[in-house]
Amino acid sequence: MNALARRIGRRLRNAVPATLFALVLTASCGKAPPDQPGIFVLGVDGMDPVILSRLMEEGKMPNFKKMAESGGYQDLGTANPPQSPVAWSTFVTGRNPGGHGIYDFVHRDPKTYLPISSATPPVEPGTAIEVFGYYLPVSGEAPTNARSGVPFWDPLLAAGVDVEVFRIPGNYPPTPSDAKVLSGMGTVDMRGGYGTYSWFTTDASQGRENLKGDIQLVSPSDDDLDGTPDTVRGTLKGPPDLLRLPPGKIPEDSDYLTVPVTFRIDPDEDVVLVEAGDSRAVLREGEWSDWMALGFDALPGGMMPLEGIVRFYVRQIRPEFEVYASPVNISPAAAAQDISTPSDFASELYDLLGYFYTQGMPEDTNALKDRIFNDDDYQKQVALVQQDAQAMLDLALTRFQRGDMTFVYLSDIDLQCHMLWRLGDPKDPHADPHPALAADAHAVSEHGDDLVGYYEDVDVMLGEVLERVPEDTLVVVMSDHGFQPFTRKVHLNSWLRDNGYLVLKDGKKTGQIATGDVDWSKTKAFGIGFNALYLNVQGREAEGIVPPSGTDALLEEIGDKLEAWRDGDRQVVRKAHRGSQIYSGDRAAEAPDLVVGYDIGYGASDESTLGEIVEPEIEDNLSRWSGNHLMDPEVVPGVLLANRKLGRTGYSLPDVTATLLTHYGVPLPEGMEGKDIFAP
Amino acid sequence: MQTFNSITSAIFDVILAPFGHRWAWFDLLVWPIVAGVVALVIYKAVSNQKGIADAKRKIMVNLLEVVLYRENVLGVLGSTAKGLAQNLRYIGYNVLPMIVLIVPMTIILVQLVANYAYDPIARGDVRLLEVTLAPGASFQPRDVSAQFPDQVAVQAGPVRTPDGRIFWRIQMLEDGDFAIQLNAGGETQPKEIVVGEEPRKVPVMRTQGWEALLYPGETALPSGSVFETIVVSAPERDLSPLPSGEGGILLWFFVASLVAGFLLRKRLGVTL
Repeated sequence: MNALARRIGRRLRNAVPATLFALVLTASCGKAPPDQPGIFVLGVDGMDPVILSRLMEEGKMPNFKKMAESGGYQDLGTANPPQSPVAWSTFVTGRNPGGHGIYDFVHRDPKTYLPISSATPPVEPGTAIEVFGYYLPVSGEAPTNARSGVPFWDPLLAAGVDVEVFRIPGNYPPTPSDAKVLSGMGTVDMRGGYGTYSWFTTDASQGRENLKGDIQLVSPSDDDLDGTPDTVRGTLKGPPDLLRLPPGKIPEDSDYLTVPVTFRIDPDEDVVLVEAGDSRAVLREGEWSDWMALGFDALPGGMMPLEGIVRFYVRQIRPEFEVYASPVNISPAAAAQDISTPSDFASELYDLLGYFYTQGMPEDTNALKDRIFNDDDYQKQVALVQQDAQAMLDLALTRFQRGDMTFVYLSDIDLQCHMLWRLGDPKDPHADPHPALAADAHAVSEHGDDLVGYYEDVDVMLGEVLERVPEDTLVVVMSDHGFQPFTRKVHLNSWLRDNGYLVLKDGKKTGQIATGDVDWSKTKAFGIGFNALYLNVQGREAEGIVPPSGTDALLEEIGDKLEAWRDGDRQVVRKAHRGSQIYSGDRAAEAPDLVVGYDIGYGASDESTLGEIVEPEIEDNLSRWSGNHLMDPEVVPGVLLANRKLGRTGYSLPDVTATLLTHYGVPLPEGMEGKDIFAP
Repeated sequence: MQTFNSITSAIFDVILAPFGHRWAWFDLLVWPIVAGVVALVIYKAVSNQKGIADAKRKIMVNLLEVVLYRENVLGVLGSTAKGLAQNLRYIGYNVLPMIVLIVPMTIILVQLVANYAYDPIARGDVRLLEVTLAPGASFQPRDVSAQFPDQVAVQAGPVRTPDGRIFWRIQMLEDGDFAIQLNAGGETQPKEIVVGEEPRKVPVMRTQGWEALLYPGETALPSGSVFETIVVSAPERDLSPLPSGEGGILLWFFVASLVAGFLLRKRLGVTL
């Protein structure tokens, strides 16, 4: 807080003399004082009502308890499927997925059967002129956000409400707007993915398969020939070198712009100088660097620098050299692509906060899943994310005035529930040990209570909100879904194979849709996405065989079988929802044919989600990604709290959206479904 | 270099910032205009005004010939060649004034940069102290040591690199002006750091040789020092709406002084 105050103070101090004249001129043109209370919303991804209630009872969440007792607290109905992009899009637009068109993280392209991003579907490659090895674009489309509907901030802004939205999920690329909105979950790193870390190591034995990072096996050199290795060299990958890529070509490893990284190791001490581009840091073992700015040159001579930011973590210097580099984030100071609306809102925040994580999911769960991080390393990295979140909340509160509407998103509870559930079930202390615990049992004593700590951190933040907003401000805390253990991973496509709905070529039992292993002439149904099941329908899919007239009967048959599916004596699928029955709106036709609502403990495997068919139908989930919510919405409701009494029970996400508008007397846009949560 | 820097700094420390360093825009508006006027006066005094006027007139004549006799290829080529020759003559007339002008203009510019390009380091901020040994120095990075004042904490380092650099990561604990003492082979050199919120002249780099002219914020290193440079970076000052930083002041200074000079040239009777 002090650092932020100093920074803001400095900005103001520097600006005062230069803008004095302008202030005098504009003094009479200021905003009229608002005549109604404002709204401050904390969006806490993944906050679970069972855990929250228990912690409130135990006195660990005093601010939540106070708010629940003096205002209102109840479960909040989530979206179906209860996935963050789906749920937050539902909140943003007040529509069900049939209205906003986001049904999953990925969905199938009916022309190719391949999984494609639901938020930013690929665009047709444009044309370019080749000049001296550079491809200068002549035509083509930029990727856009596939979400339909009117985000709540637009009608509020149109009504004169001062709106600020920090880190809203599912708004990358940002939809055009004049409201101040910073994109959150879904925002890519400089490479265009959801976060690729780099790992510089001398330890060849660490080579594991299918790691999600850029693993660089390095060998220290002895630059001054004194017999002591002193220098390690590597590279950091930035954005694809698009001006060198023919239109439509998918970038390969060598097609990315890079920045050299040099590590100078002190001959005596365990301390290292990191030099990346023009930035430098001196780090001891176990230390993280501050953000370091990097320039990736898309054209020679620095004519087109694309700025990214990165943090380094020196895990070990001797005997093995191990340094982690975060995914290269888009720099908010000079964003290489829009991450906010207006586009300079991100740089406005940078001016006040300095650099901050812009990557949609800043907690590096991949490094933890890949066992590059241990739980200690991960906890340190999460602490950096929390510092950013705290600074952003401080800023939001500093800027908040009576009548304003502000939304602040907090990611930590969601990701820590995903990653730390294996160390102990926070909903059921008597639950069987998680299958993934065995590999990490040693971490229980130190990190077994971390999840509770993250809940307590959010309580402190709520306390700060309640203390700093004007007294009559409407404060709402909501989460998009709750949480459950993820102990058994389900290979839906394997089940479809075993039940005769999906057939592989040449009698094979395993394969992938992406590599052409599926015999579409005999396949009736397949899964792409975490909860989606599609029929191979004639006239819709490229090689469809199910006649449209036969879809209802087939869906009923598959749905019944899924709901009857048992894993020992446990139900695997709580409910198979028919897309045509649960969705409505302009884009309902794009819905999956069945939405598979897994029961507690079960969830789709990554393999099946991306269209892979493996041997077993179900297996233990040994991944550190051990908590989940991609289940039936009934088992993972979110939470809703307000500092006023709620009108009734049974609210769901669109109701919160509608309340934001009705509070200011703004009519709901067409297609918005909710009802005011304070109306009787 | 140090004598020169001492004299110019003594003068500019008196005349810059009449209302304090907070009002950066005052100096950044006034001094480019002063520099423009000084440049015109010097230019008028040291340049061949008649020759410049004659060269410009002849360039215009040659251009007119090119336009009027464009059907005559040989004539156009001849006029173009003559025009180019007159251009070279014009440039030649400007060499001496430019050489003379570069000195006062650089002095003003580097003083503006030293006074306004940087903010003092904020209390609590973390910075790198970077020492580079002079090429050919008989000492190794291992031979360099540093004594830090109590108000500056060493967080990490030193890191001694094979190319003769030594780095420390330091944190400023209190406001004030402090000095870090660097030692190598019996030579001790201080490096000043300025910590606080009040804008003022900020020393960034100590160096030696001609380069020291560009860093008058601090005493130059003596010729023959084992240290080539000693640097503690400082945060760039936000001068908005004017451009910020060394490059921003440089850009602003040249644009503003050129505009001032251009606008005042006739009043001062100068042919450019």
